[in-house]
Amino acid sequence: MSEQQPSKAAPKPAAVMESQPWAGELPENLRTQFSEDVPETSQYAGQPYVVCKPDAAVAVLRYLKEREQFDALVDITAVDYPSREARFELIYIVYSHARNQRLRVKTSIGAASRPRTLTAVFTGANWLEREVYDMFGIVFDGHPGLHRILLPEEWTGFPLRKDSSILGMDQAWVKDNLGIESGQ
Amino acid sequence: MPEWLRRFLLIDLIQGMLVTFRTQHPKYINTEQYPEERPRVAERYRGAPRLNINPENGETLCIACDLCAIACPENLIVVGSVRNPETRRKELTTFTYDLSRCMFCGLCEDACPVDALELTQDFELASFTREGQIWDRQMLEEGPRPSPYR
Amino acid sequence: MADTFLDAQELVLNMGPQHPSTHGVLRVILKLDGEKVLGTECVIGYLHRGVEKIAEHRTYAQFAPYVDRMDYISAVSNGLGYCLAVEKLLNAEAPPRARAVRVILTELNRIASHLLWLGTHALDIGAITPLFYTFREREEILAIFENYCGARLTTHAFRIGGLQYETYSGFEEQVKRFCDTFPAHVDEYETLLTGNPIWRDRLIGVGLLTAEQCKDYGVTGPVLRAAGVAWDLRKAQPYSGYEQYEFEVPTRSGGDTYDRYLVRIEEMRQSVRIIRQAVERIPEGAIMAKGMKVIKPPVGEAYVSIEAPKGELGYFIVSDGSIHPYRVRVRPPSFLNLQALEVMAKGSLVADVVAIIGTIDIVLGEVDR
Ligand code: SF4
Ligand code: SF4
Repeated sequence: MSEQQPSKAAPKPAAVMESQPWAGELPENLRTQFSEDVPETSQYAGQPYVVCKPDAAVAVLRYLKEREQFDALVDITAVDYPSREARFELIYIVYSHARNQRLRVKTSIGAASRPRTLTAVFTGANWLEREVYDMFGIVFDGHPGLHRILLPEEWTGFPLRKDSSILGMDQAWVKDNLGIESGQ
Repeated sequence: MPEWLRRFLLIDLIQGMLVTFRTQHPKYINTEQYPEERPRVAERYRGAPRLNINPENGETLCIACDLCAIACPENLIVVGSVRNPETRRKELTTFTYDLSRCMFCGLCEDACPVDALELTQDFELASFTREGQIWDRQMLEEGPRPSPYR
Repeated sequence: MADTFLDAQELVLNMGPQHPSTHGVLRVILKLDGEKVLGTECVIGYLHRGVEKIAEHRTYAQFAPYVDRMDYISAVSNGLGYCLAVEKLLNAEAPPRARAVRVILTELNRIASHLLWLGTHALDIGAITPLFYTFREREEILAIFENYCGARLTTHAFRIGGLQYETYSGFEEQVKRFCDTFPAHVDEYETLLTGNPIWRDRLIGVGLLTAEQCKDYGVTGPVLRAAGVAWDLRKAQPYSGYEQYEFEVPTRSGGDTYDRYLVRIEEMRQSVRIIRQAVERIPEGAIMAKGMKVIKPPVGEAYVSIEAPKGELGYFIVSDGSIHPYRVRVRPPSFLNLQALEVMAKGSLVADVVAIIGTIDIVLGEVDR
């Protein structure tokens, strides 16, 4: 990418992902079905992905499952971009056994928004959404039992947010539990 | 053979017992007699670290380039050096290696350009104190001295 | 009157976190009516180390040793998945020789993982003997790992772009010797278990999971194949040169614990087949791709998954163009497979819960990360 040359003078443009448009029947179908709810169908490194509006995510995934044979849920995760307006990017990965194809569905949500849960479409979304909640603090609306899964219930903060630091967590823990300054 | 006859004649039991008895011979003993006999570990075993010295003049091979400390994911190596005003080369003064945090991944060893740092075949690393796990330059050059059993 | 007396109470029983048959620190809250399981709830996270957070503070190369510590039974597979994911971001590929060696080691690791599973699973159910035999063979595999890279469990065998270590002299012979002796040992395990009436009674019809349920829960690996879906990433989306090797994907149709046992046994045989083919023709040449000194992928993201012994192991890596990954997400097979415990255990007996936990083949280091 551009930052290979250490040119101090010109401010380098913010690097973006160089994705290619994704052509084919499936992206066509998605665009006609959801029009502006699915603004982008692209691929990067040969892996297709779909960007959709937060409210449409569950509908898109339901459509993919029921009409386009994407019958297996692979993963749900999120990425935190604190500088963006819609801070979190929520990523659903689904797989179609019939097509032997994997597809990412991405949607950007703000810190305060509450996306719908996917558990009504895929039962397996239960723990995955709990983990996303645990790590990022994203609250899924309608989830059957949204509480922490990997961290203890009394934990404060959401560790995979970019603003929570490992060092800070360590120092806070040592201060609270041992009453001394952490030497880290 | 019908299932009931198999069960009645205890065929599966007998077959299973045969397998067990076949391995009764002393030549099948697989138990290691550690610590009476120390096992031989592989040549490439990643065990206790050692800072190699030049066998001819007894000087350290390390050129204090700090690459191992940068490569280490756990940041446990601290290399101290001073610049020799005459030769304008960096010379090693201290070298600390916190064994208690090391995961023996071998990245430091790979990073070293002069093969000064090496993970050796020594695997007896226990000590009675936490401080005993922090090895200094002398310890690294001489290697661990495991106390022999008995 | 007697009726109400018997099922008046729902008993809540805590199994674990310190329980020999939960294979680590898994706590299962069982709701019981007598011997019958009404529902289960898993409490996990006792082994959580925040691997994904650690990744953001390490360089790409530095993070590689950490992935070994997730599924520590199959560290080589974990490493392969991670290396492939970063290579995908870099748009690089390991040289053919490296790919062949990777396949050999990964398949050996699959056998080692299945052996450990078989030994402990049998032990849970009450068959003590197989454990000693499976560990005997596993030892041979670990010796190969130790000779190759210097560590037995947390191997850190692969590097991004290829291999760090050239094979040692005698590597081919040692692997071949293992391939020659091992199938006979598998027969031994089968003699001990497959026809054994106790084994069959304890396993057949226990922990049923249909193909639909598997897909719904995102369950992969041998559990899915035992439900009749011939889906194996090595065949479906070959990586690291798996398309060159001939092997079958064993499936069964019952979807119960016994079928999962048979699938894994057959997988070990198929792995030997792959190793045989691979070790016969390891190509000559470089073991490291060019330009891997500084690993700095362009801005982008990629999801790469491999068929780990436990199922689909995926890495979703987001790069912001620096030497540190912006985000590493691990899609652990054990985590999603364990979630299906609630349907598998519902309605079964307490004693069967042990068999069902064993049959999913979980490693808590990977569930909790
Ligand atoms: S072996 Fe790994 S963890 Fe230990 S000092 Fe070397 S680089 Fe660091
Ligand atoms: S990399 Fe080698 S030469 Fe450089 S400081 Fe470390 S031990 Fe010394």
